[in-house]
Amino acid sequence: MKTVLRITVNGVERTILVEPWYSLLDTLRDELHLTGTKKGCDEGDCGACTVLLNGQPVTSCLVLAHSAHDAEVTTVEGLASGGELHPVQRSFAEHGGLQCGYCTPGLIMATVGLLNDNPDPTEEEVKFGLGGNLCRCTGYSKVIEAVMAAVESTKEAE
Amino acid sequence: MAEFNVLGKSLVRVDAFDKVTGHATYAGDVYLPEMLMCKVLTSTRSHARIVSIDTSEAEALPGVRGVITGQDFPDVYFGSGALRDRRVMARDEVFYIGEPVAAVAADDEITAVEALSLIKVQYEDLDAIVDPVASLTGSSTTVHPDLESFEGYAFALGGNNCTMLDADRGDVDAAFAEADQIIEETYHTQPINQGFLEPMACVANEEANGRLTVWASTQGPYQVRQQLASVLDMSIGNIKIIAMEMGGGFGAKLRLALEAFPALLAMKTHRPVKLVNTREETFTLNGPRLETNIYLKTAVSSDGKITAREARSIFDVGAYLGAGPNSGVGHGLGAYDVPNFRLRSYGVYTNKIYVGSYRASGVADMTFAVESHMDVIAHRLGIDPLEFRRHNALKEGDVSVSGARIPRHGLAEVMDALKDKMVQPGNVSDEANGKVARGVGIAVGEWRSGSGPSTASISVNEDGTVGLLTGSVDISGSDTSLAQIAAEVMGLELDQVIVAKRDTDLAPFTGPSGGSRIVYSQGKAVQMAAEDARDKLMALAADRLGVQPDALECEGGAVYVMDNPPQSIGLGQLARMSLSSRGGPVIGNASLSSMPYNPVFNAQGAEVLVDRETGQVRVTRFVQAQDVGLAVNPMGVEGQLEGGAVQGIGRALSEEIQIDPDTGQVRNASLATYLMPLAIDMPEIENVLVEVPSEDGPFGLRAVAEPPGFGPPAAIANAIYDAVGVRIRTLPLSPERVLAAMQGREPDDYGMDAEALRAAEA
Repeated sequence: MKTVLRITVNGVERTILVEPWYSLLDTLRDELHLTGTKKGCDEGDCGACTVLLNGQPVTSCLVLAHSAHDAEVTTVEGLASGGELHPVQRSFAEHGGLQCGYCTPGLIMATVGLLNDNPDPTEEEVKFGLGGNLCRCTGYSKVIEAVMAAVESTKEAE
Repeated sequence: MAEFNVLGKSLVRVDAFDKVTGHATYAGDVYLPEMLMCKVLTSTRSHARIVSIDTSEAEALPGVRGVITGQDFPDVYFGSGALRDRRVMARDEVFYIGEPVAAVAADDEITAVEALSLIKVQYEDLDAIVDPVASLTGSSTTVHPDLESFEGYAFALGGNNCTMLDADRGDVDAAFAEADQIIEETYHTQPINQGFLEPMACVANEEANGRLTVWASTQGPYQVRQQLASVLDMSIGNIKIIAMEMGGGFGAKLRLALEAFPALLAMKTHRPVKLVNTREETFTLNGPRLETNIYLKTAVSSDGKITAREARSIFDVGAYLGAGPNSGVGHGLGAYDVPNFRLRSYGVYTNKIYVGSYRASGVADMTFAVESHMDVIAHRLGIDPLEFRRHNALKEGDVSVSGARIPRHGLAEVMDALKDKMVQPGNVSDEANGKVARGVGIAVGEWRSGSGPSTASISVNEDGTVGLLTGSVDISGSDTSLAQIAAEVMGLELDQVIVAKRDTDLAPFTGPSGGSRIVYSQGKAVQMAAEDARDKLMALAADRLGVQPDALECEGGAVYVMDNPPQSIGLGQLARMSLSSRGGPVIGNASLSSMPYNPVFNAQGAEVLVDRETGQVRVTRFVQAQDVGLAVNPMGVEGQLEGGAVQGIGRALSEEIQIDPDTGQVRNASLATYLMPLAIDMPEIENVLVEVPSEDGPFGLRAVAEPPGFGPPAAIANAIYDAVGVRIRTLPLSPERVLAAMQGREPDDYGMDAEALRAAEA
């Protein structure tokens, strides 16, 4: 039976009825129609569903929605503000860090999470930090380039 | 080289904003009111007669709105090519574990899954065959006894051999009789999954007027429309396919996949029906590549010239011919001029999931065999592997396997570029501690620019921007490249070209997005359509300015008089003028049936470390040079090369669908057990974009996307040989296999009996 879930998504508090077995991923997609977060495997292997849960990157397919009660969730739709892309989004676009785009929201959220923790990572740390995200199109080179460029641009802005 | 305004620049993709913000809409992102969820019940038997299917309990489950079985479809066969060997859903017989036998539409997914468990299928087992080599030459079990009566069956050996291709030239027997050396080998490649990140998804809806609309994840909307019409016995005009953003396909989404199930259920329930595969289902419901066995025999003279080649390739096609074994012939020689050859390629049925397409199906397998073989021959003759390849390389004016004249190309240039960028095999020293050995290997790849019918239409808006409409799905950044071509021709900036999202009602027919055809073939249509629109604008301007059209130039968003640039009219003004002109609003159109053959060559090199204690192979550096003709968008081209190379590295080292040898069942249907490369696995990749203009491509460009995936398995196998002196002829080059070879244990034996094959043909 559906029960009440109170959750803040992209800064907006939502109170909705959700089945007890529903994952955070299915809740975002099916109930809140935030379809930017992608389902690639539903088993925690691909990273396409990565969102920030209280600032930490998680694979939302492995999080029960109700375990995120009263939590703050940021999805790819919540990154840009006032029509301005987040520096990580801009960097992925400018450096060709995306092709088909299906893994892109997860990669971007994993990157934002990584940079929250470690604003100045080495390339090796980025590769490990994105170790839970599969991408089949890019071969990762331009993804890594995009992340390193985002790191640089953030440093310059400070 | 000509100076371009828009072409040759690494511009940001036209779809980048939507994709980085999560607003790009894929088929699974479509939610319609009253939408039902579809799940598919599949066969648990390798080969069996269906005695009965009882769906009554499933239908009685609350929330279930419709159940279909094979009996609910029209009694028709369809096929991926000419051969119609397949029903869309099993009717009387199942041919592999995982074949669809029923489907359910329910209010939600969990109810649909529960309903599947209530469907009772009674089977009567039949003999099954799993091994393709035995299936071809030594089995009394026949997968499809009716094969020879199937529509589209052409000459083959019959039995389980559903298709055979051949090519012959010269006097092969005499060349072998006169050879200084004969090298004979057998290679084996593994079943492999395309690994697209977006599981197959679609939504079907019956419109109030009876037409069917399908939101699809497809590379070939017109092909899906045609096949759907065929299996549902509907007219093509009553089906609309909306090609959604596609989250990777690599060939797997070229044809009808599962769209017929939600389509029939939508018509039965009069509600929209959505189907989204689980990751497991992307391994079990969706045709992967299956194993190949490749026999090569080559005659060489002692000065290093190849004089003859015999090649016999067995392609396992599983239960249905989902993709043909063409590459066994087309790529049996590699990038080399071989005067005498006898090439045979067989597609063989087995009781496993049907074979699908994947990034130039079979070419990576053939390249692994042929380019490993080239290394073996070079070492046998004591010639440097790159020099041996150069000595035999195809030149302009030579004749391809299919008899086409080889036009201008950059094969020599890509080999030179590779030589410049890396240490050559035999010249690297081992790591000091002796635990790890270092090696270098190379491989050369060849492809042709993809063809097929192409159309494009360009309309000019009242503000001087233009709308570009093609039927091609973007699978590789092609929308951006096509828009760059249109912008270049019309003297516009990239952001002044709006690329329409397409469906089959809206856009004219075009070939599928595959085989690296879009920017080469579709790009030609876009170039011609843009020229058509530009010429019409210039005619209007000539009329208004009182000059001849050839005195005008179209650039910077305006048409101006070349001798007097201030005398000009903006495209927006011309578009507004056109609304009331005799010819009406300006539209540029183009249509072409096929583009000429143009080769694409690449050369790739891998530097590896081989752990002598564990057999683990790590690629530390990867270099690739490819003749791209013209790099329309260098950043995009590099992205294609890098992505392709990494897929090839996965194929070389870790990826393998494990198939049960007794039942044919896929055993590792998850991303935790099917090992695709991760960021941490990646070497440093260096790309060299060689630009030898093609004779026919728009602005001289060539196809890009297929070749980078070809070379890695052979380059890495050759590097392993360079490092530790063992030759591995089976993919993947797993630690177990490398270790076994280093310890001198027996290599895998796949028992390809060339004599038995020759006898079977006779």
